[in-house]
Amino acid sequence: MTHNFHKLTIAELQPEIDGAATTVVFDVPQHLAEAFRWQAGQHLTLRLLIGGVEHRRSYTISNPPGARLRITVKRVKKGVVSNHIGDMMAKGDSVEVMPPFGGFLLTPGPLARRTHFFFGAGSGITPLFAMINTVLKDEPHSVAHLIYGNATAKSTLFKDELDALEHEYPGRFSLRHVQSALSMWSWYRPWRKGRVDADVIQAALSEVPPIAQDVQYWICGPGSMNADVKAALMAQDVPTDRIHMENFGGITEQDTSVEGCSATAQITLNGTTHQLPIAAGQTLLEAMRAAELSPPFSCQSGVCGACRAVVTNGEVHMRNRAALEDSDIARGEVLTCQSVPIVNELKVQFT
Amino acid sequence: MEKMYHNLPVEAYTSQDWFDREQRQIFSRTWRYAGLAEDVPEPGHYISVQAGLNNIFIVMGRDHRLRAFHNICRHRGTQLIRAVGKTQKALTCPYHDWTYDLEGNLISVPDEATEYPDGIDKKCLGLKPAAVDIWRGMIFVHPDPNPPSLAAWFGEVDAHLGPHKPEELLEYPEARNSYEIKANWKIVVENYIDVYHLRHLHSNTLHMYDHARAEYGWKGPHYHFWEPPSADYGKDLEQNLPTPRVIPALHVGAWVPMLFPGLGLGASEDSWNLFVITPLAPDLTRIENRTKLANASSWEFSKQGMRSSRFWADFGGGKYAEHDARDADDPMASGDFTAEDIYACEQQQKSLHSPYLEIGPAATGESPITRHQQAILDFMGEPGE
Ligand code: FES
Ligand code: FES
Ligand SMILES: [Fe+2]
Repeated sequence: MTHNFHKLTIAELQPEIDGAATTVVFDVPQHLAEAFRWQAGQHLTLRLLIGGVEHRRSYTISNPPGARLRITVKRVKKGVVSNHIGDMMAKGDSVEVMPPFGGFLLTPGPLARRTHFFFGAGSGITPLFAMINTVLKDEPHSVAHLIYGNATAKSTLFKDELDALEHEYPGRFSLRHVQSALSMWSWYRPWRKGRVDADVIQAALSEVPPIAQDVQYWICGPGSMNADVKAALMAQDVPTDRIHMENFGGITEQDTSVEGCSATAQITLNGTTHQLPIAAGQTLLEAMRAAELSPPFSCQSGVCGACRAVVTNGEVHMRNRAALEDSDIARGEVLTCQSVPIVNELKVQFT
Repeated sequence: MEKMYHNLPVEAYTSQDWFDREQRQIFSRTWRYAGLAEDVPEPGHYISVQAGLNNIFIVMGRDHRLRAFHNICRHRGTQLIRAVGKTQKALTCPYHDWTYDLEGNLISVPDEATEYPDGIDKKCLGLKPAAVDIWRGMIFVHPDPNPPSLAAWFGEVDAHLGPHKPEELLEYPEARNSYEIKANWKIVVENYIDVYHLRHLHSNTLHMYDHARAEYGWKGPHYHFWEPPSADYGKDLEQNLPTPRVIPALHVGAWVPMLFPGLGLGASEDSWNLFVITPLAPDLTRIENRTKLANASSWEFSKQGMRSSRFWADFGGGKYAEHDARDADDPMASGDFTAEDIYACEQQQKSLHSPYLEIGPAATGESPITRHQQAILDFMGEPGE
């Protein structure tokens, strides 16, 4: 995995759901094909200069591996980057893009025989959409069930594409829409009204009990949805090692209750070890950049996982840990963009 | 010199040593049929099954997923549960009441503080997991928690097993039975896959199918077999079927595969049958039969029964006519092909100890037998655990 940016050309740019989102397809030149190979669920980081200021954003790749490199960017109210992409960019533009990465991924197995349950809401569908496609195409003995929450049918990303999948793979893919705001004017009725909550989850699990017994649960939604779905699954005895999730959309709240102290850190990056000071309140990433090292990073908000490293000595507080699973943390992994020291000496290792 | 029965030594059918090695090398290292999916219908229900040296139980969690564990208490090894049953959230060993949750975690040790004053690490004393999966409406277990998937095991033979969807059919409980055959399990398998005997041993019992046009072959260690209806039976097939059809009308014939090790299926236009072979001793084998039929009303069953009665009234009979029969129970006069097969297997087993036994050449219709022996050798040759 390299963390260098490469210039890619936009091959296609298209508004979705009445302009509330933008789909961007990139051309990947032959010499970058290897570097830009991805797995379903991974992200792409864009670096844009907007009004003289550098912005980095991570977006999930919404196509399965082997298809065209595509992201779907939902507009955020007053969002600098999402609106810039929707309003200012066009086919033929060149954008700086970092090769795909991310640990929320589904690796298909041609002989794997699994039942995948996907719980998504809003733009959280993007990684799930790639995963569902990869299951249907590259894991032929497995099935996928999607439980998909949205406000209305109109605001539902990939609605037509998902319908098409249901027709193309009867018996292997099922789709359940859950909508919170039903339109009076539409004949359309979703599977359930409301949100993807405990009742909805229980109903789905008993409607389609698994045939293939290697069952995996994938969750991607905004705000507290992930934690809620996980809790509901665990209440049904689903073991945690079968639950995979990624926070999406609204950045999860930061835990700033711990201030962090000043410290000296020994940091091993690209095989070289550096000794550097960290000021109180400074994150490891900020300290490294201040010391003019070039550590990997992307979203700077704890979501993408690009900045992860292992603390081999000492302890840190993480303000946000959305990009890490419990098992990562057990291994000592931290997000350097979110970590402040709580002891005076640290050893940190990038892998 | 070792006396041979085609590819295998005769001893493979008689000795305890071969039997023990097969239990280790074959039945403890392959997917084992454990029951029909409906045998574990709801959360909390469980069943257990012997897979070679391993007793494994299967329980459904509230998420409707099956879990499989070795049925061995981590305290002193006692079998935890009996054959079938239902539990709420926990499994308690009868001996000292160690209790496990449905994930296999040890959650309670009675008198923990006094009996283990130095503490006991419950985390390391969970039940040992096994693998479980469902395929074609049947539950399979594997002693290894991470074996090659059922797709890898049955994937290639799957297409040759007929268009049946057993999960949509209903069990016919009267047909469920179990009996023992006094013969080695391989003798029973060989009888099942012997194409040559169909026209002879079963000359009067299985002739609704045309054995001369049988198509058969192998995918890995699994045998597949199909034959079309005979001219007589096929002429008015829809009328002659004894019970309502279970597959689309464009499919005809009988599919009679033998999945390794020892799981026979027998599927036709109107039924789906299981023939589960379990070795008990070198010269003793248990068979379990189960049958599934159309999910149709009793009215449809009686209608089809009436339509077909004319054909079946004149059909069949014993291989030997009344006057040749030994007595009233002579299997060879029974007109029941199963009785004929059991009889043949047991008569063959009886001769295996004779110093005068010498096996004759294998016929073309016996090629499945020599191929099955090769499959046995392939497994026995690999180093076991
Ligand atoms: S830079 Fe994205 S998690 Fe730290
Ligand atoms: S052997 Fe099971 S509790 Fe002692
Ligand atoms: Fe027979």
